[in-house]
Amino acid sequence: MNDLETQKIINIDMRGQVCPACLLVAMDTLNRHKEALKNGSETLSIKTDNREATTTIPITAKNMGYSVTVTKIGSFYQICIGFFTPENKK
Amino acid sequence: MITDSTFLLYAAGSLIGLLAGFLMHRSDYCVAGMFRDTFLFRNTFMLRSLCIQVTATIIFFEFSRIFGLLPLYPFPLLGFASAANTIGGFIFGIGMVMAGGCVVGTLYKMGAGSVISIVAFIGIIAGSALYGEIHPWWASFVKATTFFPSVKTLPELFGINPALLLLPLAAIATIILLKLHKQNKIIRQSEVKGYIQPWKTAIALALLGLFSYILVGMPLGITTTYAKIAAMLETLFIPEHISNTSFFQLIPFHITHPSTGALLQGGPGPQIDSIWVIQFPIIAGIVLGSALSAILLGEFSIQYKVPLKQIFMALSGGILLGLSSRMSPGCNVWHLMGGLPILALQSLLFLLGLIPGTWVGSKVITHIILKQPMRPTGKS
Repeated sequence: MNDLETQKIINIDMRGQVCPACLLVAMDTLNRHKEALKNGSETLSIKTDNREATTTIPITAKNMGYSVTVTKIGSFYQICIGFFTPENKK
Repeated sequence: MITDSTFLLYAAGSLIGLLAGFLMHRSDYCVAGMFRDTFLFRNTFMLRSLCIQVTATIIFFEFSRIFGLLPLYPFPLLGFASAANTIGGFIFGIGMVMAGGCVVGTLYKMGAGSVISIVAFIGIIAGSALYGEIHPWWASFVKATTFFPSVKTLPELFGINPALLLLPLAAIATIILLKLHKQNKIIRQSEVKGYIQPWKTAIALALLGLFSYILVGMPLGITTTYAKIAAMLETLFIPEHISNTSFFQLIPFHITHPSTGALLQGGPGPQIDSIWVIQFPIIAGIVLGSALSAILLGEFSIQYKVPLKQIFMALSGGILLGLSSRMSPGCNVWHLMGGLPILALQSLLFLLGLIPGTWVGSKVITHIILKQPMRPTGKS
């Protein structure tokens, strides 16, 4: 059963870290959790204050076939990567 | 138009700095990142913005020279080419990637509240102080490896009018950039708040460089003032040492403007001189301009929880930056946005070292970041 309620969220807080740690760690995590992210049992949520990363991470993740949302929350941005709706799941 | 009015210099420098800092924060105009991401992610988007800036600067400088606005040409403080330029550029390349920004990138990131960049800034000051200790040895190396002791630019080397080389070069670059624009490679969508397309910042920085060149006889440069800050701090604790260190006695900047007779002079020593009056307001302006941008966007925040490894890396990178910007001498802004557009031999050699340096830096930083203990805290 992989519906939204049971999706596990991998939270990564990259605020304050050196560039391009955010993109490197995002790519590394996307690779290591490929299976779970692709079948929809996990989604990735990254907090960042790096403005450049809010563009580069979505481009990279979309190229890998994921859906991405970027939301500004207070002083930082939250980037969510994965397959969010049940229809999207393989 | 060159001036020795202290007030005018402070006012102009602050304005240049504020504008530059504001725009760089909005576009995340990070020169270290431009080279690094080319190697690391095969992402050349931001590097294209730098190409726009260099091309625009070639055009601005060359036409200003032709119309007689730049009587000091090539500009002062530009020296003769030596192996030191390439070695300095190489170390600078490693340093700026490890520090997470060059000597200017560090300033605008610091303005937005980055602890990493504050640490890098301290490193740059420390590295500049360190250079004072090795200067006599390094100066003799520079002397021994100077290639052409009479010419400073490529057109001078070939003995031709700069326009014959620079205008065709600018034309070719413009055609290529317009082609890239048609392929949609110059503008990009961004979800970030208050984003300014980097090409706009590139053109604005080129104009600020021209403004600086016309006003004070030199394009933008700031690193001598880092050495000055180091000297000022050392003077507080070990004044005798500073007065006995030959590097801090140098007055490399000494010009009398041909048309106005204005006298500007200065060096890395702890005194308040023309170098300080020209450069310090720019440094302060960049930090404040970026802080202003971040505050207006509600993005100013100071994050203390940074992996210790990254703090050490930024400090080491900063030290390398401070050291190499005196070894080169000059930083990426000075060379890429000032010297390269007039085809200064020093700047071409600096770039030759900078590129492999950033490649090495990219390897180092990837290794350090991915080795740090990750905390992907899963929760349902």
